[in-house]
Amino acid sequence: MQRFAGRSVVVIVALVLGGAAAGLARASVDEIKGALLQPSALPAILGPITDLGRNGWDCAPERAAQAKSAGHAELPSDPGR
Amino acid sequence: MAPGRAGLALLALGAALLGAVAGARAQAYPDVRPVPKTTDPAALRATATAREIHERFHIGLAAMTRSDWPAAQAEFARVLDLHPPEPMGSTAHYDLGIVDVNQHDYTAARTEFAAAIKLDDGFIAARANLVTVELKAGDLPAARKSAAELLARAPGSARGLYLDGLAALQAGDAASAARAFGTMLSHDPSYATAHYDLALAEIQLGRMDEAERELQAALTLAPAYERARFALGTVLLKTGRRDEARTAFEQVARSAQDPELQSLAASMKDALSH
Repeated sequence: MQRFAGRSVVVIVALVLGGAAAGLARASVDEIKGALLQPSALPAILGPITDLGRNGWDCAPERAAQAKSAGHAELPSDPGR
Repeated sequence: MAPGRAGLALLALGAALLGAVAGARAQAYPDVRPVPKTTDPAALRATATAREIHERFHIGLAAMTRSDWPAAQAEFARVLDLHPPEPMGSTAHYDLGIVDVNQHDYTAARTEFAAAIKLDDGFIAARANLVTVELKAGDLPAARKSAAELLARAPGSARGLYLDGLAALQAGDAASAARAFGTMLSHDPSYATAHYDLALAEIQLGRMDEAERELQAALTLAPAYERARFALGTVLLKTGRRDEARTAFEQVARSAQDPELQSLAASMKDALSH
């Protein structure tokens, strides 16, 4: 998800290099939006649970699934954080 | 009987009773687990099955720890053959779903997470994993439906909102994506990635000022977030600020770790320099 698809890169580089400077802004930004501004990565699957781990709902995957804070939800780390 | 002797007898009886109570306290034994003593075949079979379920869970989880997925799969499949009671049944389906994901069998994983949810409607971790697998499989309608069901049972779940937002973004429903990421940030504004995704939704909605604000917030929280800086460059370009856009692309070209992003940013910078 985070990585560009090779085809997208080729398309956009061609657009950028082929576009006249004056017409570049409006001509290619829409293409960039569609092809390159990809959403962030999917989170990793929540981990396994033991046979007794969900008694009382006190287990890490269940807590992470219900957490309201991103920091406790086992989401992808912020780049550069 | 004389009154004095009767009083003495009562005192003696009271003392005896107190002694008996004290003695009972002194002789309190620690709890001892009762040893099952039965010759009933059904009861013996149930005891053996419960023990096998517990042991196979243990062995299956150990196999997962060493990434031995086929071994783990065999253990959880056997657990399910034994028809364990709740919460072990839904947990076995859940663990088997994780094994399937690691073997890239998303169809099987979806079946297992769905089975876990069928056994336990409130199993939110299983619901979250189901949405993730549906997104991995590229089934956006299913992912959006599952995300909505998750959020109906766990409103405010950051993971649920994140997955819901990603599914909406990928489906081109920018308004729903903006709502999901906006709600998520209202609970925890410190997550730079959600600011970035919200900015993508705002770009799709044509709200460039809001997009720029979110990207600036992402970069304030995570200054090395070069993908956000690249997105900011496109917003600046879109709003006619070519010099600022070029500066943004220049910085991405200089600092990005991803060689493709770096190369593309360099191309953008060069094109804007002409």
